[in-house]
Amino acid sequence: MIEVKNLTKRYGNQLAVNNLSFKVEKGQVLGFLGPNGAGKTTTMNIITGYISATEGTVMINGVDVFEEPEAVKKMIGYLPEFPPLYPEMTVREYLNFAADLKKVPKKERKEMVAKVMDSTMITQMADRLIKHLSKGYKQRVGLAQAILGYPELIILDEPTVGLDPKQIIEIRDLIKALSKNHTVILSSHIMQEVSAVCDMVMIIDKGKLILREKPENLSTRLGSTGGLRLSVKGNKEVIQTTLSRISRVDRIGIHEAVSEEILELTLHCSEKDDIREEVFYAMSEARTPILEMQSIRMSLEDIFLKVTGNSELIENGSIDNLAAGSMPELDSNAVVVGKNTDDTDKLEVDNNAGNL
Amino acid sequence: MLAIYKKELRSYFNSMIGYVFMALFLLIIGLYFFFQNFIYSSANFEYTLASITFLFVIFAPLLTMRLMAEENKQKTDQLLLTSPVTATSIVVGKLLAVFSLYSLIMLITCFYPLILSLYGTVPFASAYSSILAFTLMGGAYLAIGLFISALTDSQIVAAVISFVVFLLTILMDGIAGLLPTDNKSAVMIFTAILLVICIVIYRMMHNLTIAVGVGVISAAGLICAYLLKPTLFDGSVANVLGWLSIVKRFDNFYYGIFDVSGLVYYISIACLFAFLTVQVIKKKRWS
Repeated sequence: MIEVKNLTKRYGNQLAVNNLSFKVEKGQVLGFLGPNGAGKTTTMNIITGYISATEGTVMINGVDVFEEPEAVKKMIGYLPEFPPLYPEMTVREYLNFAADLKKVPKKERKEMVAKVMDSTMITQMADRLIKHLSKGYKQRVGLAQAILGYPELIILDEPTVGLDPKQIIEIRDLIKALSKNHTVILSSHIMQEVSAVCDMVMIIDKGKLILREKPENLSTRLGSTGGLRLSVKGNKEVIQTTLSRISRVDRIGIHEAVSEEILELTLHCSEKDDIREEVFYAMSEARTPILEMQSIRMSLEDIFLKVTGNSELIENGSIDNLAAGSMPELDSNAVVVGKNTDDTDKLEVDNNAGNL
Repeated sequence: MLAIYKKELRSYFNSMIGYVFMALFLLIIGLYFFFQNFIYSSANFEYTLASITFLFVIFAPLLTMRLMAEENKQKTDQLLLTSPVTATSIVVGKLLAVFSLYSLIMLITCFYPLILSLYGTVPFASAYSSILAFTLMGGAYLAIGLFISALTDSQIVAAVISFVVFLLTILMDGIAGLLPTDNKSAVMIFTAILLVICIVIYRMMHNLTIAVGVGVISAAGLICAYLLKPTLFDGSVANVLGWLSIVKRFDNFYYGIFDVSGLVYYISIACLFAFLTVQVIKKKRWS
């Protein structure tokens, strides 16, 4: 369906996209993941023909974007980073105009606009001026515009920015529904989003493709960090000496105490070892009860940071601190959907809440 | 193209600017019509039109400033440029929309000579040919305004630059009369203009070799021409500047001459700037 070859985009001396090549099959949902300024938006702008590439080609269904832009643009629906809306139009006027631009036949236009508004849940806003809509509604109007005409390829640049948790789930469901008949490329810097809806994840950093993997394989491929997170009640020194006697524990990290009696710590060990039982018996012998025990699995955030070369953040545990101080977990459970529900590592949940 | 045409035309009447523009334009034409034709009892409607050419300086920027600048600012150009429409049809759609609005006014002015004819004989041929010329002159101004609007993403900047440029086209004749007519200073003036053009090229393309290359080659051509045939430059500054004076082309219609070259000139200016606008939009892809 899409074939991108050696795509390079240079702004002066700055390299925005660096020799990017990938393929997307029909019906696939591809997620672009990367920090801000990684080149996600630039790549999407090039695929949609909004800007040109310095080098490289983009073929969609065998048609070159640079040679036959009009033919390619017909196959693409695009939601840019900032939804391209006319504030002085009503939602319906705007969508009618967009349908007209996309050369939807006049007979089908009314029905299609109604259908699209229905699927993006903006029907009740149809006759409001766009300038009076909230950010979330504007985003959805932009999304409605992108899926108008049901193009084969739908490209969404951060589609869930500015939406509340309920809307995020709805939009994700919509994307999943769309993926049955369409090829979708979406970008995000939110891991859950990508792992929830995508068949394939591409991590991009500084314009370079760093990793391309199915979301479920990501953590197995990169391996786990190995280790346990514990919360133990008892005397600090007793616990420390008991644990240090376990030979398979490489290193003990002690977090700030929650209270005087309860100690939170991280045990590092080699990846394949399962030291949970040993720790349990050691602690019970020392009569220091374990209140919580959790094996550390690599979350998407960790993988992301690891592959984008910020792994020292994980080592220092600064993510944990960040997560610990973040938002209450009230809504965040609602956000973790799909494949990820079994994986609700505290870290992920909290980070997710922070991203809202 | 039709989609953009309809959208632009609708937005003029959604935002009042269309009504305000039409009301003011018609009011001023009406006032001049009243004074020129009734108070001074003249039967020539072309006199009225000739005395209101300054209106373009004020009103054309108001109509054209938002055409492209607003799209650039709201990033809605992204919608247009990623839709299956060509840059040409975007520009033509927009230009036609603003031109339609303006033609509507000119259509109304078509009644004025008829009103006059109630009181005596009116030279209809010269009156209507001047209305035609005035309409096309407006088209030329609107195309220039559209081009300027495409260069920026601020409506205010677009309006101010258009205002200055339109003012220059009106004052051009006067300026040309003040400049020396001998061939030596003509070459100097052309060299200065060349320098400005090279700086503009460099600013737009960020390529020193091309800018200097264009400058050196043109300067060499200029000097060669001067050395071979200095008389070529006699009075040339006034001629060249006269070429840029859009309003001057209307003089023949004022005298009752149906000047086809003038009409062709207006249409060419409109097409040239429409073409340049397309290039500006296309160039944005490559920046």
